[in-house]
Amino acid sequence: MTASPPPALALDNISKRFGDVVANQAISWSLQAGRIYALLGENGAGKSTLMSILSGRYQPDEGTIRLNGRPVRFQSPAQALEQGVGMVYQRFMLVEPLTVTENILLRRGPVSLARSRESRALRELAERYGLAVNPDATVRDLSMGERQRVEILKLLHRQADILIFDEPTAVLTQTESESLFAILRRLKTEGKTVIFITHKLEEVMAVADDIAVMRRGRMVSQLAADKVRSQHDLARLMVGREVILNVDKPPVTIGAPVLTVRGLTGPGGTARPSFRNINFDVRQGEVFTLTGVAGNGQEDLVAALAGITSLAEGSVTFKARRYSAAGWRNRPAAGMAYIPEDRDRVGSIAAFTLVENFLLTRLAEGKQSPLLNWPQVADETANAVKRFAIRGSGIQGLAGHLSGGNLQKLILAREFSRKPDLLIAEQPTQGLDVQATEDVWQALLRQRETSAILLVTGDLKEALSLSDRIGVMFRGEILDIVSARDTADIDRIKLLMAGLGAR
Amino acid sequence: MAWRIEKRTLSGERAPWWVFPAALFFAVFVGALIFIGLGVNPLEAYAAMLKGSVGSFFHFSEVVVRAIPLILTGLAVAMAATMLLWNIGCEGQLVWGGICAAGTGLFLAPHLPPFLVIPVTIVAGAGGGALWALIPGLLKAFLNVNEILTSLLLNYIAIIFMEHLYFGPWRNPEGFGFPGTAQISDLARIPHFLGTRIHLGLVLALVLAALIYGGLRYTRWGYRVRAIGLNPRAAGYAGFSIRRQIVGVMLLSGALAGIAGMAEVSGIHFRLQQGLAVGYGYDGIIVAWLARLNPLAVPLAALLLGALIVGGEQLQSLLHLPASISMVLEAVLLFGLLLSETLARYRLVRRPDAPDRSAAKKETAP
Amino acid sequence: MIEDLAFIGQIAVKSSIAVLLATLGEIITERSGVLNLGVEGMMLAGALCGMAAGVVTGNPFAAAAAGALAGGLLALVHAFFAVTLKVNQVLSGLALTILGMGLTSFLGRPLIGVRPGVRLRAVPIPGLSDIPLIGDIFFQQSLLAYLAYLLVPLCWYLLYRTGAGLKIRAAGEDAAAVDAAGIDVFRIRYLCTFIGGIGAGLAGAYLSLSYTPGWKESMTGGQGWVAIAMVIFATWNPLRAVIGAFLFGFLTALQFYFQAVGMELIPAYILKMLPYVLTILVMVVVHAGPGRRFGGPAALGIPFSREG
Repeated sequence: MTASPPPALALDNISKRFGDVVANQAISWSLQAGRIYALLGENGAGKSTLMSILSGRYQPDEGTIRLNGRPVRFQSPAQALEQGVGMVYQRFMLVEPLTVTENILLRRGPVSLARSRESRALRELAERYGLAVNPDATVRDLSMGERQRVEILKLLHRQADILIFDEPTAVLTQTESESLFAILRRLKTEGKTVIFITHKLEEVMAVADDIAVMRRGRMVSQLAADKVRSQHDLARLMVGREVILNVDKPPVTIGAPVLTVRGLTGPGGTARPSFRNINFDVRQGEVFTLTGVAGNGQEDLVAALAGITSLAEGSVTFKARRYSAAGWRNRPAAGMAYIPEDRDRVGSIAAFTLVENFLLTRLAEGKQSPLLNWPQVADETANAVKRFAIRGSGIQGLAGHLSGGNLQKLILAREFSRKPDLLIAEQPTQGLDVQATEDVWQALLRQRETSAILLVTGDLKEALSLSDRIGVMFRGEILDIVSARDTADIDRIKLLMAGLGAR
Repeated sequence: MAWRIEKRTLSGERAPWWVFPAALFFAVFVGALIFIGLGVNPLEAYAAMLKGSVGSFFHFSEVVVRAIPLILTGLAVAMAATMLLWNIGCEGQLVWGGICAAGTGLFLAPHLPPFLVIPVTIVAGAGGGALWALIPGLLKAFLNVNEILTSLLLNYIAIIFMEHLYFGPWRNPEGFGFPGTAQISDLARIPHFLGTRIHLGLVLALVLAALIYGGLRYTRWGYRVRAIGLNPRAAGYAGFSIRRQIVGVMLLSGALAGIAGMAEVSGIHFRLQQGLAVGYGYDGIIVAWLARLNPLAVPLAALLLGALIVGGEQLQSLLHLPASISMVLEAVLLFGLLLSETLARYRLVRRPDAPDRSAAKKETAP
Repeated sequence: MIEDLAFIGQIAVKSSIAVLLATLGEIITERSGVLNLGVEGMMLAGALCGMAAGVVTGNPFAAAAAGALAGGLLALVHAFFAVTLKVNQVLSGLALTILGMGLTSFLGRPLIGVRPGVRLRAVPIPGLSDIPLIGDIFFQQSLLAYLAYLLVPLCWYLLYRTGAGLKIRAAGEDAAAVDAAGIDVFRIRYLCTFIGGIGAGLAGAYLSLSYTPGWKESMTGGQGWVAIAMVIFATWNPLRAVIGAFLFGFLTALQFYFQAVGMELIPAYILKMLPYVLTILVMVVVHAGPGRRFGGPAALGIPFSREG
């Protein structure tokens, strides 16, 4: 047997710290050309940090990177790309007001001169890899899938051999994801090395040749994809224990509707509202879930229901009072609580203490004396911290110092303390670790005893664990509402999310 | 052991104690270079400035006199900046405060019961400043027009109008051509203390500083203002009306600057005349940021700037250097503050040479 | 009547040149993502240094170059604070204005009342200046005015038709994307801030060498601030900067006109206020109209840093 060529890319003992947090700990990994690698792990497992090191955005504290056996050091993404390592970030690195060609040729100098020759070369490149995109379109007008293709084209144009994708399907529809997979396979046959970060197990099964799993900053497992028998195996590797799929649901009697919406249509003109003709109701003691791939209108619907933006048409009946689309935004605030998706930038104020944050949404409640009763708020905060086991540096510490899970628990405690009849929770466990997720789920389930809950989540596991009924949104409409108890229905949810299988 | 520099993560953290001293040191150092460049011994120059500002009770009382409008304009800028608004129009608001106070003292005072004259003058001054600040406030709140530029351009308009008044319709008929109005009624003059030029404005300014400090911390209004300033999106989520607060805060900010103008007219000049718009409005920006927007620190920062101004005047009379050197030093001080705040964003951390391989566990920052 | 129009037009153009030069410079600066509020200070520095160099050398080119350079050097102070140290750009710009005002007031003391060494007088352009009305208005101006005419299309061409302009606009929209493409964002921003300073410096030199030859404390009278407002009015497009600057010049010219003919249709103080009122009004107009859609470079005033 002849000596095999050195791996296309080899990581040797890579470590990276941010302050006291160790993001990557002694990671070694070797990758061959012409294969697709899936890098799996939960949020916070250190996948993104590792890939940022590979692509030159961060420098490792220790360890070496070898390309085709030759040690390299990247001081910047540009240097990495120079050597053939390119990355497609979750947040695309495209200048929106410029055209596709301008974005790709940004570095080259006078575009007008280069246009004819270069743009022909680009077209050829795009055709070879099946990257359908109009080179003269402005990036701002492109869909997420098209933008991603521009990013890939950009890397190919710079002759990248190793392409890294950070959760590439997070912003894509089902169809777009499938065409991405086709592109990935095409890249593979052209001899490129593809790495993609994900936490969606079915994607791994669909395209990966090799799988690497990270947990808490370490590489815990590397295996060939054909050795994996089921998604459950992978899940166990990722989390380190069996995934919770069955949560204890304390039985609650379901009562009359608390919220009823009829014919809701969003702002943005009648031509293209982000959601239209939405009908559902949420009953006392029930968790009603809206799910769907991100960007199908659920975000705007929630913002309008929470009174942050306005509605164009329809009616809302809340606690037996009927509001018109225009009247809804100006209704009295009492009775409804909202847990926003972005807990750091919307749900809390990082530079405020826990006590101050505990007052944020409750300022309009109670006696409206001009003076604040800080000692009383501090007492309530201290109680909440105890009841929800919020770990931090005390109630006078800054909210910005709390970990995501503890901050979310603080927000839950605050919103629960308003004794809402209806609670809207948007992506309540996004980015949380398993323990915090479980805590949040338990808290939400307990809250069913006093509130109706409208849950908005893209996480199917979460939807199934918590809900009684699930409405699936696609392109601004609810395609169907299914019962979370009916197993036949559950299989349909995935189809519905892709816009298929509506009755 | 190795040291390395690391970025602090959170903007809300309290800045280290050395930020202000470092800024001051930077200003003194650069100032010394400027003096050397001018062929003046920097020690001599600083000695003159110190002697001229705190060398005697009289000199110090002059520093306090300068500090009074600076406290008020500093509060005005700080108040607006707490809510991410830039009120660069304090100069114009101060001028309007002065115009209204002078108008009250000249024309209204004889028709008012004597005990009401001073309160009415104060209210008129505050109202004049507040209304002038209302223009950029409304434009910002409802059309999102950049308040930096509108408030600043309004300064020029206010000054042109004031000049028109004292060159034209309000000109003192017995002024021998001297540009200025007649003196305001004795009743409209605010009282002075200790035989100096220190006047009632000091008490007003200090009380207002304390009120604003308390108001921001202990009232619902203050909570809303701080929340909007720190995170407008979270404030919107909480249902606070950002527009209403913008208008309210600009009114208050303008009122503070207006009181500064009122105090200058009713406590120092006793008439509307050239020397009213001498840049206290712009100095207020420096005062506010030196005080790190803390209302209780504003009076101290104002005293420092007052000393700088009075000291600069001493340089003119003792060493024949133009007094505007103090303006250069003010700018250098502000740059020094920006520099040391940048340094404060980083901290030196010690880390062991050998990586601790067991320390993979995530820990919360202390 | 025609003479009156020619008179007003000529003065209007004359009065608009400083604002135009400063606006063009600030457009380049802001397009790269840096907000420099120090224009007033840089203009003053340009005015003083231009005048001083004129007195020393007697050479108009040296004088204008000295003015431009003074503005550019002050701009580098802002670039250091805004781009390298990433401080609050509003504060740094304000500090720069105060620094410029202080330095010029202080260093300019000996130059007050001194006869300027250089006066840039109107140089009629042969042929063009004979065109009725138009010739009188546009082609009986000083050399710096002609330079400003040229700079308008040049700045436009730079921004929209060259690779450098593409990089500048991209840096002002999304610095991270530009950095990822391997382009040095810091260099672009430093350079554009410097160019902006040159524009402001030239504007100042125009005032002290041509418009009102000589040095007077605070002789810019807020024109630097007007220029910043006109950047918004121009929606960051060099071609549209002409309109804003000319409007400003026109209202300034009206003052002279009414003075010259001895009419007082409108009180003098109102006329004096008009250019400032107009500047506020155009900002309102642009915000109520196109500004709502076009909010300027997306990364304006936001410092760029690679890690964290």
